[in-house]
Amino acid sequence: MEFVSPEGLRLDGRRPMEMRQIRAEIGVVAKADGSASFEMGNTKVIAAVYGPREVPNRSQQISDQALVRCEYSMANFSTGDRMRKPKGDRRSMEISLVIRQTMEACILTHLMPRSQIDIFVQVLQADGGTRSACINAATLALADAGIPMCDLITSCSAGYLNSTPLLDLNYVEDSAGGPDVTVGILSKSDKVTLLQMDSKLPMDIFENVMQLAIEGCKAVANYIREILLENTKQLEYRRGT
Amino acid sequence: MDDRSLNLTTSFIDQIVVPGDVVLDLSSMSNQTIKLGGGLRQDCDTISVMKAGKLKFSKPNKYWVESSQKRYVPCVEDTILGTVVDSKADNFLVDIKGPTLAFLPVLAFEGGTRRNIPKYEAGTLLYVRVVKANAGMNPELSCTDASGKAAEFGVLKDGYMFETSTGLSRMLLSSPTCPVLEALGKKLSFEIAIGLNGRVWVNAASPSTVILVSNAIMNSESLSGVQQRIMVEKLMQKFQSSS
Repeated sequence: MEFVSPEGLRLDGRRPMEMRQIRAEIGVVAKADGSASFEMGNTKVIAAVYGPREVPNRSQQISDQALVRCEYSMANFSTGDRMRKPKGDRRSMEISLVIRQTMEACILTHLMPRSQIDIFVQVLQADGGTRSACINAATLALADAGIPMCDLITSCSAGYLNSTPLLDLNYVEDSAGGPDVTVGILSKSDKVTLLQMDSKLPMDIFENVMQLAIEGCKAVANYIREILLENTKQLEYRRGT
Repeated sequence: MDDRSLNLTTSFIDQIVVPGDVVLDLSSMSNQTIKLGGGLRQDCDTISVMKAGKLKFSKPNKYWVESSQKRYVPCVEDTILGTVVDSKADNFLVDIKGPTLAFLPVLAFEGGTRRNIPKYEAGTLLYVRVVKANAGMNPELSCTDASGKAAEFGVLKDGYMFETSTGLSRMLLSSPTCPVLEALGKKLSFEIAIGLNGRVWVNAASPSTVILVSNAIMNSESLSGVQQRIMVEKLMQKFQSSS
């Protein structure tokens, strides 16, 4: 099947190096301490953060840092066919673990010993790249909750089909069976905190694809910064003087 | 180098910053002591931001980030509203919307002895003062001021408690009196207790006054002084016309 036409257009009309449209909103879950919704094209996710709060189970608390828990689940209606078991299956457990490890790299957990931070991410509409959208949403939600972070983490995916590196795969391109590289970086220091790949790639092509994904992450980071600045400006209370 | 770092700092002071922003470069500043408040951390030679908010500077050398969140970071000498969760032999366990539960010693009341320990059920609302707040330890509270007098601390009976962000609490407690409270106080009589941890308690003679005051305060989060007065005026008019 042809994923890149001879004119250089993908199935949804994008160029190989073009990302889908991104849109983010902060403060969508009123009850949560911090929340955000993030959309990459047709993929929509919501992240809610609770904490830092008391650990209910004394045996689980860590004496010198905060415990970060993450749960990834997909809504039944998020995919084409209604899903029967949205969480608890292998894929959700793996993605929960991945998101937790990624966010733990940037949260300054040693500042909140013996407490717990819960990150809940729910996919409302899945069209490829849910992992990246979840990490981006979680970053915004953590910043909204005021949890101390050393940097903003952003994530993006890239693939390689029809001998072309493609940025930000959607579901059709993802299920083509080609390689899918997901990268998460700390936006200011350019350090990689997440690197995952399905399928196989020769080393030199892998470098190109990873570089492309990192460019995508930087573009997302710029957008996330703007949204966060705008939201903080609006929340900032006015004192009258 | 000095010019560039000065430009860096002056361009960030009183600006909104997000986690990861580098606000000071220490390698170009020599032999100075700077004091870092909340929201900033030192990373080798740079000072970077941990929380999204407004960077503030006070002479001669204090920097901090002012932000408004829903959860509270316990700080000594703050006056807050806590709810009793449990009572142990020596302390009451109080929830203060922070990372851990706080301890209120059973003797930390005016004239408190082993014979007259108050009995608080779970859910009791208390106006308390933070005595100790170290990282890693549960904060300690007290129902007396520094000299041992009761001074308005203790149980808040009746009334209605609602939660806000810490930024709104700080604005309500600022002096001169914040516009929304001033406008409400001119027309209505009510009792109010504001905790720096984002909890506000309101009590008045009639439930409609309590509702009016609570709604006015909750609406004033992102309004300027003038907008707050206009908002209170409109609420009052609706109230007068309906009653």
